Amino acid sequence: MTTIAATLEREAHASALEHSADRHVRIFNRVCAGVLVAFAIIWLVPLAWALDTALKPNAETTTTTWWIHNPTLASFRALFQQGDILNWYAASFITSTITAACTVLVASMAAFALSRLRFRRRQLVFWFVLAGIMIPPQVLMVPQFREFNGLHLLNTYWAVILPQIPTAIAVFIFKQFFDGLPRDLDEAARVDGAGFLRVYWQVIMPLARPVVSAVAIFSFVWTWNNLLWPLLTLTNPQLMTIPVGLATVQGAYGIRYADTMAGAILGALPLVLLFLVFQRRIVEGIAGTGLKG
Amino acid sequence: MNRSAPSRSRSQPVLTRRSVLLGALGGAGAVAIGGCSSPVAAGLTNTPLDPGTVDYWNLFGGGDGVRMQQMLAGYRKAHPETRLQAVTLAWGNPYYTKLSLSTLGDKPPSVAVSHLTRMKTFADAGLLQELNLDDLARHGMTPDKFNKRAWQAGLVGGKVYAIPLDTHPIVLFYNTKVCKQAGLLDSAGNLKPIAGQQGFLDALERAKKVTGQYGATLGINGDSGSPWRFFQTMYAQAGGSVLANNGTKIVLDDAKAKRVLDYFRTLAVERKLMPSSIDYQGAIALFANGQSGFHLNGEWEISTFQTAKMPFSMTLVPNVFGGPYAVQADSHTLVLPKHPAQDRRLLDNSLGFVKSMLDQSLTWAQGGHIPAWQPFATSEAYRKLTPQSNYAAAANSAVYDPPGWYSGSGSTFGIIMSSSIGAVLAGQLTPAAAIAQMRSKLSVLAETPSPV
Amino acid sequence: MTATTTVGRPRADRGPVRPRRGTDSSQALHAAGFLSPFVILYVLFIIGPALYMVLMSFFHTSLVKPGLGSFAGLTNYAEAFGSADFWSSLWHTIWFTVLTTPPLILLSLLFALLADRVVRGRWFFRLAFFAPYILPSAVMALIWVWLYTPALGLLTSAVTSLGLTAPDWLGNPNWAMISLALATLWWTLGFNFVLYSAGLQDIPRELYEAASIDGAGPWQQIRRITIPMLARTTTLVAVLQVIASLKVFDQMYIMTSGGPNYSTRPVLEYIYDVGFTDFRTGYAAAASTLFFLVVLAVSAVWLVLTRNQEKEGVA
Repeated sequence: MTTIAATLEREAHASALEHSADRHVRIFNRVCAGVLVAFAIIWLVPLAWALDTALKPNAETTTTTWWIHNPTLASFRALFQQGDILNWYAASFITSTITAACTVLVASMAAFALSRLRFRRRQLVFWFVLAGIMIPPQVLMVPQFREFNGLHLLNTYWAVILPQIPTAIAVFIFKQFFDGLPRDLDEAARVDGAGFLRVYWQVIMPLARPVVSAVAIFSFVWTWNNLLWPLLTLTNPQLMTIPVGLATVQGAYGIRYADTMAGAILGALPLVLLFLVFQRRIVEGIAGTGLKG
Repeated sequence: MNRSAPSRSRSQPVLTRRSVLLGALGGAGAVAIGGCSSPVAAGLTNTPLDPGTVDYWNLFGGGDGVRMQQMLAGYRKAHPETRLQAVTLAWGNPYYTKLSLSTLGDKPPSVAVSHLTRMKTFADAGLLQELNLDDLARHGMTPDKFNKRAWQAGLVGGKVYAIPLDTHPIVLFYNTKVCKQAGLLDSAGNLKPIAGQQGFLDALERAKKVTGQYGATLGINGDSGSPWRFFQTMYAQAGGSVLANNGTKIVLDDAKAKRVLDYFRTLAVERKLMPSSIDYQGAIALFANGQSGFHLNGEWEISTFQTAKMPFSMTLVPNVFGGPYAVQADSHTLVLPKHPAQDRRLLDNSLGFVKSMLDQSLTWAQGGHIPAWQPFATSEAYRKLTPQSNYAAAANSAVYDPPGWYSGSGSTFGIIMSSSIGAVLAGQLTPAAAIAQMRSKLSVLAETPSPV
Repeated sequence: MTATTTVGRPRADRGPVRPRRGTDSSQALHAAGFLSPFVILYVLFIIGPALYMVLMSFFHTSLVKPGLGSFAGLTNYAEAFGSADFWSSLWHTIWFTVLTTPPLILLSLLFALLADRVVRGRWFFRLAFFAPYILPSAVMALIWVWLYTPALGLLTSAVTSLGLTAPDWLGNPNWAMISLALATLWWTLGFNFVLYSAGLQDIPRELYEAASIDGAGPWQQIRRITIPMLARTTTLVAVLQVIASLKVFDQMYIMTSGGPNYSTRPVLEYIYDVGFTDFRTGYAAAASTLFFLVVLAVSAVWLVLTRNQEKEGVA
């Protein structure tokens, strides 16, 4: 901890400040760093405690201590051996990947039309699409359930995937980005005889990679983390996604804290990896657009 | 997000780290998908899951959960040829919601546990398979082999939809040490019969003198079950009922209800024989710590007091109101939800599983539940199982919650009744006001068209 | 999901496409092609269900029966308006929003301000504060249920070791909502932290330099420069926070099931209960419609707020 604190002591605008107030500012910044480190550690404690518990044998969880007498991976092994966790992983991976891919494709196509093509009532269509932002999907759970019941698609991955593809905000983000791209690019391609499909696929989309990855990541994470809708539609334990499985299926031997925490960690692991890979992209995505699940 | 320019090129190491991690992620995903092809196929193409497998859902935790696992192991040993997939889901409304949604979603379990009082709404909603008597007989299950009352109570319109596994009534737990000191035990160490309002009151008085605190405890605060169970027992002994015509009519008998609630008020508020502000766990703790001579609760709490290693026994809740003996109860039943892939093989596997559970009634009865399976219930083995068999008679006098779409264990009905009755026990409402409250809240539900 | 675009983007108006020679009708045809996948899915799964919901709210529709059921007129709405359970669940949602929004704004602002004064190790703070946000709600809930477990939980023992009596965090009706709010604070603070950090970076450094030459101390700089310059971010954070809090369901469903004794049941869980546990789809649709109107009203307030802010910015 102290090493981190030490590196933090250098304050933000040291070079600009060579006045008599310099010392005060430096002390102030040092206090700031100290307070922040304390909070950051507090924030990490629940995660560390979950990991600590998961590495204990179940029997050891009855005493509240950080010390692990017999560290073990038994809880993780138990989860993989009995229970449906592999099925849950499969469901989460499939639904999240397909949703993310389809959202990017469908939304970028719509945005391309709204940004690059001229047609009557374009503004009207745009507002029609934008209205979707105002409808929280949770509100629609009752009619959507009946709809999928009627389509006989309950307890299939499509029940989770299909309603999440038409995401109005994704169209909005793509359109904003496309609007910022110079028109000369596609004009030139058009002059060269390229059709709109080629302009979309070979000129515009390659330039849109940052937006594509941001929308794809967020769509993936939202689908992975979604609870309410999959809870309603994926009711067979073999078909559940990770959050639904963790929330509804219980151990038959009562509560085993180490097993529960191991399950929690396994459920979060793919997202933690994703976060480590795309950390900057995710943070920039939020800062740039205020996307919130 | 366009603050990072599209043209910005990435440095090579980042790409490598990223591709390695992504590769790991993708690989893990592929392993997960490859490892469970049947659910994946079902999820993508809506094919049935593992045909022929017995898919069993239950809601048992704690001691019941452990015993259920033993019974499942017993089934697996006896039927190695049948695959059994058993899942324990969170108890209560979430369980029943999941059961109905999965049936609507065409992928229900092949066998599921349901409370008898909840099962009726499911049957009315068309979510359960009707069980053919011939099919049952083929597996050795004929109506005469079940507890008559549980079997009769489980019929919906004269048809069979559920196989009762047990009857679980409210019972009287008593601290044998306290009761002995209070002179309430006979020479064999059993509780002497208690009868009538005065008799029960006296017994509580004498127990209170010994403990110095309370005569009996009952969960009241925030408890949506216990007050109703106690009330229903007494009120049924007085000959009253609450709902009729499948819940569309309120037949609450004000005079009888008032007699019972007046008595409750005497016990808890005027004589302070029972704590009037205590929750479910608190009521258990007071009894387990010897601060109360009696405890009124479902027999399933037997494991709690066995674990606490306290001197206790169990018996029938006394007949306090003098009519024909009656006691509030429910039953765990096994049901077969409507299954799109139902065929003879799955039906036979499912019924074979049900029969196997009945055959292991001894394991189940250890948890306090009165077995519905008569070949065991009438056996010497069960008679010797004490204190569990002390209250076996309750099964024949069980009063089930009245049918109605809003009724059944853990339902809105229980919550309404318990909160009004609990308010009387806590001294917050007069009996007359509580009855008025019940009536007004129930009438809203009774007038609402039934959704099933 | 909710979104808006205010940070770090030029506001220049991009007019309609420059007229280009070519057939408008061919463009229209292409536009239809490009738009149709989205529009078809959108109409099928968003707009259609929304209209169907409003229609159902006037019928006694049942979950387990086909068709709309008998006509109910306004009785579903009348029942919702007269239902103590509906109002109390709506109140729980609002109470949760009130409990979480101010601390989530103030603490994330505080953390972002502190982090802004620190040069090194930003990745560490980002990781610490933001990592919880990407966890699935179910994972967050399981971890906190374990922290809150009576007698064994880390929080319980921490409070006990301070010589205090730990409350029954999730079991006591007076504490349950506070405990849920605390867990949510830990979970979602990172999102606001990132927004505020970005907002802080958009404030020109020269302002601080000028102020410090004028002799303003750090505290004065924060009060005079930083907070006013962050006004737009604060509006954004507040609105996103309110809308997200209104949609709360997961924490309650997993951690308390809306209990004890329904004291934490939010309005979405009420809709879930009446619609999917009691099978009363028509009534649930009416309750959903009413809730939708509440969310719309909040969104409208946000629109007015941002409009006003933009006008001030221009003036």
